Order: sequence, then C-alpha cells, then structure tokens
Amino acid sequence: DGVAALPAPQNLSVHSINMKHLLIWSPVVLPEEKVYYSVEYQGEYESLYTSDIWIPSKWCSRTEGPECDVTDDITATVPYSLRVRAILGSQTSAWSILEQPFNRNSTILTPPGMEISKDGFHLVIELEDLGPQFQFLVAYWRREPDTKEHAKVVRRGGIPVHLETMEPGALYCVKAQALVKAIGRNSAFSQTKCVEVQGEALPL
Amino acid sequence: QGHEFRFGPCQVEGVALPRLWEAFQTMKDTVQAQDNITSVRLLRREVLQNVSGAESCHLTHDLLKFYLNTVFKNYHSKIAELKMLPSLSSLANNFLFIVSKLQPSNHESLSVSDSAHRRFLLFKRAFKQLEIEAALTKAFGEVDILLTWMGKFYR
Repeated sequence: DGVAALPAPQNLSVHSINMKHLLIWSPVVLPEEKVYYSVEYQGEYESLYTSDIWIPSKWCSRTEGPECDVTDDITATVPYSLRVRAILGSQTSAWSILEQPFNRNSTILTPPGMEISKDGFHLVIELEDLGPQFQFLVAYWRREPDTKEHAKVVRRGGIPVHLETMEPGALYCVKAQALVKAIGRNSAFSQTKCVEVQGEALPL
Repeated sequence: QGHEFRFGPCQVEGVALPRLWEAFQTMKDTVQAQDNITSVRLLRREVLQNVSGAESCHLTHDLLKFYLNTVFKNYHSKIAELKMLPSLSSLANNFLFIVSKLQPSNHESLSVSDSAHRRFLLFKRAFKQLEIEAALTKAFGEVDILLTWMGKFYR
C-alpha cells in the first residue's frame, strides 16, 4: 500500500537507580509528525509458561516517550523482558525488545542523603525518603580515643529519628547506608557528618 | 516490614508478603464469585494443619510448583479476559522466585518428605476429582488460604 513502514525504536536500555527503573530508547524522528510509543513487559513466569502473553506497562500503554517508568511493572526479583513499539496514527512499528532481560537486583544503590541536627542535647537524623522498599543502617559514635561505634536500623526515611543524648563539649559523628531487603543488597556508606554540642565538657 | 520466609531449614528473602496479598486482593472477589462448589475445599485442614518446620519447605515447594505449572498456567486466559494480568504476573513471578530459592534438602529423614508429599497428594487428589474448569477456579480462589498459611512462616 506504498506506506513506508514505521521504524521501530532502537537502543533500548534500563536505567535503574534506588529501585526506580526507567526504560529508555532512541526516539523515532519523523518530520512534522507526532510519534507515540507503547511499552509491554513479561516476567520470567510469562516467558516460561505463557510466552505469547505480553502485559501492557501500567504507565506507558501510549506515551510520548522516549522513556517509561516501569517500576510498578517490575514487582518480583526475577528477570523481566521489555519491548517498545512506535505508534503514528493507525500505524504501528515492529516491536523492539530489550536485549538483556532486566532484574531489579541490578539496580544502583546510592548512599542515602541525610541531615544531622541537634535538638537541645539530642542528636537527631533525618534520612532521604527513598520509598517503602528501603531501610537504613545508621552508625554513630562520639569522636574520642577508643570510641565505640553504635548502630541503629531506621525503618523509613523522611522522618526525624533520635539517635543519642549528647554531652556538652563532645563531637558526635554519623554515617548511613541504605538496605533493600527485596534484593538483599545495601548501598555504600554516606559521608560522615559530625556535630558538636556547645558548653564545657562535664568533669569526669 | 518483614521480607523473609523461614520454611524450616529453608530461608527465602526478598519477597514482601503484603505485596502478594495486594496482588491477590484485586482478583479475589471476581474469581471466588465464580466458584459454585461451596461444599469442597482443596487446601483443607489435613493438608495444612500442624505442618512441621521441616515439612513446610517440601510442602511449599510442591504447592507453589503446582500453582505455577497447573493453576496459573491454565487459568491465565480467564485472568486475561478479566484484565487482571498485572496482578497475576506479580503473584506468579514472586511464587517463581520463592520456588527458585527453596531447596528442600534430602538430608532430612524420609518420613519428613513423605509426610509432606502425602499432604500434597491429598490436595492434588481433591483437585483431580473436580471437573478441570471448576478445579482451576476453586484452586485459584484458595490462594488466600495458601497465603494465610505461608504467613505463619513470614518474619
């Protein structure tokens, strides 16, 4: 029928950081045309048991692209296949399939952002809210010879958490790492931050 | 915010049980409404009650494999019609992950694995006694019984 075939999207890849999974691809560029895209996925179960079945992505069954947040589609720690096609009017391109299936256990985990504050003599930490899949291991210590490092698991980010009641004149330091049980991994520790409580050190 | 199953010696980390419940809840009412045989229960007391820790690894492995190979596979088109594939996908892929982590050891006494297998056969026999469509519908509808039982081993 003389209509040039709509080119399929190319260069599919997944950028996954802190359990947010973004499928990206090279856009199909046609002069003065508005191209849309459709994304579908298959978990390992589908590819093993019902390989002809692909499931439309929750957020990108028709998107302007060229990217799609597939975080809500990837709900198990198994390999997922992903595919994209272009849509122009009633025309659709062939499907392009992600070369390597994606498993969320490959996500990049960054050290968590954290704010340290003093509430009177209380040492308080607030960690970056990275979502429900994240817990945090916080290490804190008083900077002095032979100091002992304490550790505390913080179940959620985005809320202030009391760590320690400090003594005047002492320096207290803190660092934290993110833990993701769904994939059994943790991030590197953040940089250490220290605070000091004004006033004279108490006599021994 | 637990994330770990302990089926006796078998430990599985990385599956959030609340997510499995969420996935099943979206399908539960629709599927259970299609189960007309209210006098029969496949996952009945003799299958799931007083299961020892050692048995639980074997039994979970057998039950989840049956659900993957038989129930979900053959009920898939019905779920597709109901437009609930994302929920089934989430449930099935997490069951697949659990099965891949369960390594029922053969070191235990034969009686443990035999006892677990007898329980599974009770379930499978009851399944086979029903007409296939009715059996699939009932077994799928009983995932809540299965998840409730699995919850006993969740930390």
